[in-house]
Amino acid sequence: MNIDLQTKNIVKTKLEQRGNEYKIKAPVTGSVVLNNAVVASFGDGSLLFFGLNQEPFEVKAHKGVILTMSSNGQFVYTGGDDGKFLKISSDGQINEIYNFGSQWVDCVASTENYFACSSGKKAYLWVNDESKPLIMDNSSTVGGLSFDLDGNKLAVSSYGGVTVWQRGDRRWKSSRFVWKGSHGKVTFSPDGKYLVSAMQENEVHGWRIRDKIDLAMAGYPAKIKSFTWAGNTPFLVTSGASEAICWPFDGKEGPLGRKPTCVANGGKQNATFVENLPQENAVFAGFQDGSVVLSEIDETKKSYLIRNATGSEVTAISISNDKSHILIGDAMGNILWSPLWAGDN
Amino acid sequence: MQTSEQVPVTVLTGFLGAGKTTLLNRILTEHHGRKYAVIVNEFGEQGIDNDLVVDADEEVFEMNNGCICCTVRGDLIRILGGLMKRADQLDAIIVETTGLADPAPVAQTFFVDQDVADRTKLDAIVTVADAVHLNSQLGEHHEAEEQIAFADVVLLNKVDLVDEKGLENVKARIKKINPYAKIIKTTRCAAPLDEILGLNAFSLKRVLEVEPDFLESDHDHDHDDDVTSVSFVSETPLNMDKFQTWFGNLLQTHGQDILRSKGILNFAEKDERYVFQGVHMLMDASPMGPWPKNAERNSRVVFIGRNLENMGLQEGFEGCKS
Repeated sequence: MNIDLQTKNIVKTKLEQRGNEYKIKAPVTGSVVLNNAVVASFGDGSLLFFGLNQEPFEVKAHKGVILTMSSNGQFVYTGGDDGKFLKISSDGQINEIYNFGSQWVDCVASTENYFACSSGKKAYLWVNDESKPLIMDNSSTVGGLSFDLDGNKLAVSSYGGVTVWQRGDRRWKSSRFVWKGSHGKVTFSPDGKYLVSAMQENEVHGWRIRDKIDLAMAGYPAKIKSFTWAGNTPFLVTSGASEAICWPFDGKEGPLGRKPTCVANGGKQNATFVENLPQENAVFAGFQDGSVVLSEIDETKKSYLIRNATGSEVTAISISNDKSHILIGDAMGNILWSPLWAGDN
Repeated sequence: MQTSEQVPVTVLTGFLGAGKTTLLNRILTEHHGRKYAVIVNEFGEQGIDNDLVVDADEEVFEMNNGCICCTVRGDLIRILGGLMKRADQLDAIIVETTGLADPAPVAQTFFVDQDVADRTKLDAIVTVADAVHLNSQLGEHHEAEEQIAFADVVLLNKVDLVDEKGLENVKARIKKINPYAKIIKTTRCAAPLDEILGLNAFSLKRVLEVEPDFLESDHDHDHDDDVTSVSFVSETPLNMDKFQTWFGNLLQTHGQDILRSKGILNFAEKDERYVFQGVHMLMDASPMGPWPKNAERNSRVVFIGRNLENMGLQEGFEGCKS
């Protein structure tokens, strides 16, 4: 991998002035937080570890594209188009968990005690580092995997709905949440009461888990590639529109019958990536042209352009655990790693 | 917003044994200095092993968007998305479908999914047909007819195994189903790759360049083919409003039976040529610049599908004249 420092002639944002820019010769496919570092994954199979007081270091993990990545705070789990499911420590040591051969590893998820991946129609769940996984069959290819915050439920999305597997006394039991269409990325609300998936159609679909009441969140001009939970309300913040669309999940029925809050306007283009500012009622929205806007989730407040357009869509935003640094990546391999606040280093 | 170019995608169909694998192996092994990824289906023939071969499941999804015949290939959306994240740029992607698959969901994926449409483009549908067996396959499996109907190119393979008369028969049968398809006669799929890949068959410009091979209509043919084609020409300019109303209704009510449609339109009081082409209910249309100085201004439309005789196509088209 070649890393070049970039030079530009446009007026730099404060964040760009403070930070370091890198140009990698492969698309940024994701980023996660690991201890005090942020790890970015790339289309050439490599990972870059960005620490607080050191130069980034590279780990060559996969032979092809890193399609998916998750972190449980201790390890990074990656899946690639080389069929490998890997566990990587914060010092870059690679441990191969499973090799699916010519089949891609499409989704991964992890908690403190469990980790899971999917390849084709099957989801694989490893419990407490046991060597053999539990295998969960689906009628169609798995579109998304997510644990709840407690780590006792695993959501597996596919065509026609989402299956939630719950740890029982002896075995894992499943419950199906049905909605017509194809379901991708999936998430539980922080309080564990709601389940939400992004669909092939331009909408997100939610269920209240207790009674499976449907929450259809539609009206987007584009597919929703990214969502995040933000603030104390909390809001489900989604990409797929010219603003970050924030659905309130407080009260007894969440967003049912309520309007979303729309912030961080990007003009005539759609947001492709959103990420919360931890412990704040605020969100970063990254757009098709590579620009990133920060805004409080309040339509009366001003929003801030923190990253200029790069010419390529934003595919990754991560904030380090101590909130001191931010990483922004795009589909052309541009990375900005910068102190989030003035005065910090 | 992407600065990179759209990667062309060729869809390769044809019945088992027609020679698809031979062609795929040629594409992957010949020294052409290009990088092709091949998406194969799990039920396909064995014998291809390469880093750039991806296994697919042929998962057809109904879109929950109110369009009854709108189905897409979910696996293709996922795999094309993954291939677009590669560090190296691919020159082309080839999607193999099983002999029994309906090509429509594959083609529709390129109309329906925005990410797929942004980063890739449907180049052409290439159908490999077995010159020896095509006649009987057309009678027995409606999928064989559909594969011919959708094709931009029919690679008529194993021509060394049939006599001249048999070859003429099978060619006439193909032309009757699909007058637009270019027929390439080969043995062992030994056609030049540039006649199969990089054709731009789905661009509207291309519609202008390819003249359909209109057959004299003959009504005493032996075969009772399910899928047929009809075409109309009008020297009288068409009324745009009337055409849009008729054509919109037609696709809504009969879109499931109309496999492909193409046309060049001469509207009254418009200086530009209008070109359209569609797959089932989905359609792409646009003005394509002024009429060439010495060219005849007329309207030509072609429909390929089933039950075309029950759609009142002739009356409908005549009714659009201004």
